[in-house]
Amino acid sequence: MKKILLLAFLFLSVSIVAQKYYTKTGKTQFKASVEAFEPVEATNNSTTAIINVNSGEIASLLFVKAFNFRVALMQEHFNENYMDSSTFPKATFKGTIVGFNLSEISDTKKYILNGILTVRGIEKEIETFAVFSKKEDKLLMQASFEVQTADFKIKIPKIVRNKIAGTITISLAYEFIEKK
Amino acid sequence: MNLLKKNKLVIIILLVIAVSVGAIYAYAMQAPTKIESKKVDFTGTSDQLFLKILEDPAAWQDKIVVISGKVTSLDDKGILLSASIYCQLKDTTVLKKINPTNDISLKGRIIGYDDLLEELKLDQCIIQ
Repeated sequence: MKKILLLAFLFLSVSIVAQKYYTKTGKTQFKASVEAFEPVEATNNSTTAIINVNSGEIASLLFVKAFNFRVALMQEHFNENYMDSSTFPKATFKGTIVGFNLSEISDTKKYILNGILTVRGIEKEIETFAVFSKKEDKLLMQASFEVQTADFKIKIPKIVRNKIAGTITISLAYEFIEKK
Repeated sequence: MNLLKKNKLVIIILLVIAVSVGAIYAYAMQAPTKIESKKVDFTGTSDQLFLKILEDPAAWQDKIVVISGKVTSLDDKGILLSASIYCQLKDTTVLKKINPTNDISLKGRIIGYDDLLEELKLDQCIIQ
């Protein structure tokens, strides 16, 4: 009896240890460009993301100040006027990849990704598709979705309103490696 | 004669306008300052910096630091110093030249404390 219990316990503890994949240098890009004007876009190459491959849960975090723009002045305005990045330094996402199963990903596999995006301390529910693939020992994820500036109470002054799109496209490209 | 003078004036005004528009455009379209020419806010070891960050993380955002420490691990984008500070490199080709057993000194920008991995993150790092 004791042996059975011990065995059961062993199995339990094995399944409890979650297998995780992570990245520290994920690429998150946003575009709020309007045609015929200077493109309003920036890339963050330092996004952290962790996937629990047993449950399909995903959490990610980025620092707003790490968005790189081509134009310094645009970066300054983005941080100071629109994102208040001193007050709200982080943007986070917590969610689930529905039906995630690591063993069925070989070429490419599409899953529904849903969760809560928090920007400027304001939460917004997101639902989109995420495409996974494998490259050597890396797990790649790509996704994109749209948000509105109004969702996060970002005010755009009248004078530049026709140069910045109200709908922002956010795209993600993360290369996960296994956490040991 | 009078007409010639007038033309001269017009040309001068146009030139002044062209130059000032050019100057304003160049100013507005400036690329962000490179890390190499940014002023350093802190110099010390990675452990000293980490302690300071834990005291008041908000005050250290966007600060430029020069830190030295022991290399814990390397990946294809950066270096983990003293198991607590992740330094993302500006130019990853230098990775080949790094000897992980030696101490290393680098200049970088603090982007923040990552509470998912419990590491401090730096980007644009250059080896000193």
